[in-house]
This record gives sequence, C-alpha cells and structure tokens, in this order.
Amino acid sequence: MTSHNEKNDSPMTCAEFQEHLPELFAAGSEGAMDDPKLLEHLKTCENCSALVRDLQYIADQARQLLEPTHDPSDNVWEKIKNSMAAEAPTPDLEKI
Amino acid sequence: MEIQGQQMTEPKAGPGLFKRNPPIAGEAEAIERAKAGDGEAFSKLYALHKRRVYTLCLRMLGNVSEAEDMTQEAFLHLFRKIGSFRGESAFSTWLHRLTVNLVLMHLRKKGLQLVSLEETINPSEEDAPKRDFGSRDVQLSGSVDRVALERAVASLPPGYRMVFVLHDVEGFEHNEIATMLECSTGNSKSQLHKARLKLRELLRQPEPMISGEMKETAL
Ligand SMILES: [Zn+2]
Repeated sequence: MTSHNEKNDSPMTCAEFQEHLPELFAAGSEGAMDDPKLLEHLKTCENCSALVRDLQYIADQARQLLEPTHDPSDNVWEKIKNSMAAEAPTPDLEKI
Repeated sequence: MEIQGQQMTEPKAGPGLFKRNPPIAGEAEAIERAKAGDGEAFSKLYALHKRRVYTLCLRMLGNVSEAEDMTQEAFLHLFRKIGSFRGESAFSTWLHRLTVNLVLMHLRKKGLQLVSLEETINPSEEDAPKRDFGSRDVQLSGSVDRVALERAVASLPPGYRMVFVLHDVEGFEHNEIATMLECSTGNSKSQLHKARLKLRELLRQPEPMISGEMKETAL
C-alpha cells in the first residue's frame, strides 16, 4: 500500500506498521501512538486503520462473552457435596 | 513452576478487573460464613459462581465432561482454600484465577506443553493470518453478535483461544497470563494479536464458512 525508497524519512509500510500492533494494543491508550510515523501511517492508510478498528471492535465485543450462558449439570454439585462431606464431615454439611 | 504458590496470591485488582467483577449482594457474608464451615453458605457461593466458572472451563477446554470435572475441582479447591481468601481482590477474580490455574495444570498433566505454547499453536505459514488485508468489503463494526463471536472463539486453535479468553474476556493482564502460561509477556501479546486477527478473518467470512462443525456444547 505504501511504497517508498528512501531509508530514513520514508513512510512506514503496512507490514512495518502491523508489526507494532501487538505492542500498541497492549499499551492501550496511554502513549500508544507516541511515534509520529505510526500515527501518520494510521491516519493515511485505510487498510491499516480498518484493521485497527476491527481488532479494537473484537476486543470490545469480547466483554459480551463475560456473561456466561451455560450451567453445569446438577450432578456436578452432587459430586462436590459428596466430596466435601467426605473431607470435612461436619453436621452442617448435611443440611446442604 | 510456581503454580501452587501463585494460585492463592491476590494481586490487587485493577480498576478494569473490578469493573468486570463487581461485588455481588450477599456474597461477602456468604464468604465469611463459608470460611467458618457453613455448608449452606458454600452452596450459595456455588450457586452464585457456577455459571461463570463452568463457562470459563468450557471455553478453555472445549468439552462438557472435562469442563464439568474441572468445575468440580475448582469448587473443591475453593472449599479447601477459602480460608486463605483475604478480600484483597474481588472474590470472583480470585476464584477465576484459581480455576484457570487448575485447568492449566490439568492440561499440562495431559501432556499439553504450555511452555512451548508458541510452537505448538503457531499455525503453519499458510495458515497464518495474512499481513496484508486487501479486501475491505466487510466492515466488522456493529455487525458481530454474541453468538457469532462465541462461535468464532470456539473455533480458534486452543492456544489462541486460551490467551483471548484470558485477556479479552476474563480481563487478565499480559503479565498474569505470561505467568500462568509460563511464557513471556511478548508471547502473550503476540498470541493475543494473532487470535484477534484470526477472529477477524473468521468473522468476515459468511456465516456457514465459520469452521465447519462447531461443537454446540463448547459454546
Ligand atoms: Zn497500512
């Protein structure tokens, strides 16, 4: 996407930009984009900005999954109860 | 291998974790009573937390019977160790960390080399997420519902799924994940990134393409 020849002041390529992504995401919002070259690439490259948007979106959506939807079957609690009773036979446990 | 010792430590919960794990009404009292050996209080704790512990196990393990076994293990472990809970982090955070460590120990016993996680789960080159994203026909934002995401997560390679679930779903920090998985934080970050890339790829595919037969049970 970004083509360049000079070594130093040349704009970053997509591959170079994307190599920084794991660190950038891990750094979060604080000082993540302090490298002007990264920022510049993100602003000018549609490809990479869409990628960043999508990955951020996926990370945000993941929180939905925190709400669990599945229950263990009842016999899990039966087994726990039995093991607890065997380990610590207190009169109290019989009430469960 | 510091799993044993580390299991019961209670790193201070960051604000993020606390937000994810707000205190539950009646929980503190149940914890205190359970510590004193009150069986009814323990059964209340089980009722409050079974879903999330079980779902966590299910996501990490991908099958019902192992997930149920590990749920049982986790609560038995809780029963034995609840006395050492000091309330420095949210109870659910503490319980989940305990659960994750038990599941990881179980996987190691089964022979899954979590140390060399990087190698075992690195997809082959052709399978690796493509660096260059040419087609931008699909915009993800706003288009992904919970079911689609859950399905895509379930179809991730196990190592990717592990890091994604621990970080993005459960809210663990990279340094915690690195300790739990016995890898570097760099590894953890790059695995997470690869997991999200893979998810993006999966989610951009039309629905039926999402990796054949998903185990409904693992969702
Ligand atoms: Zn780019």
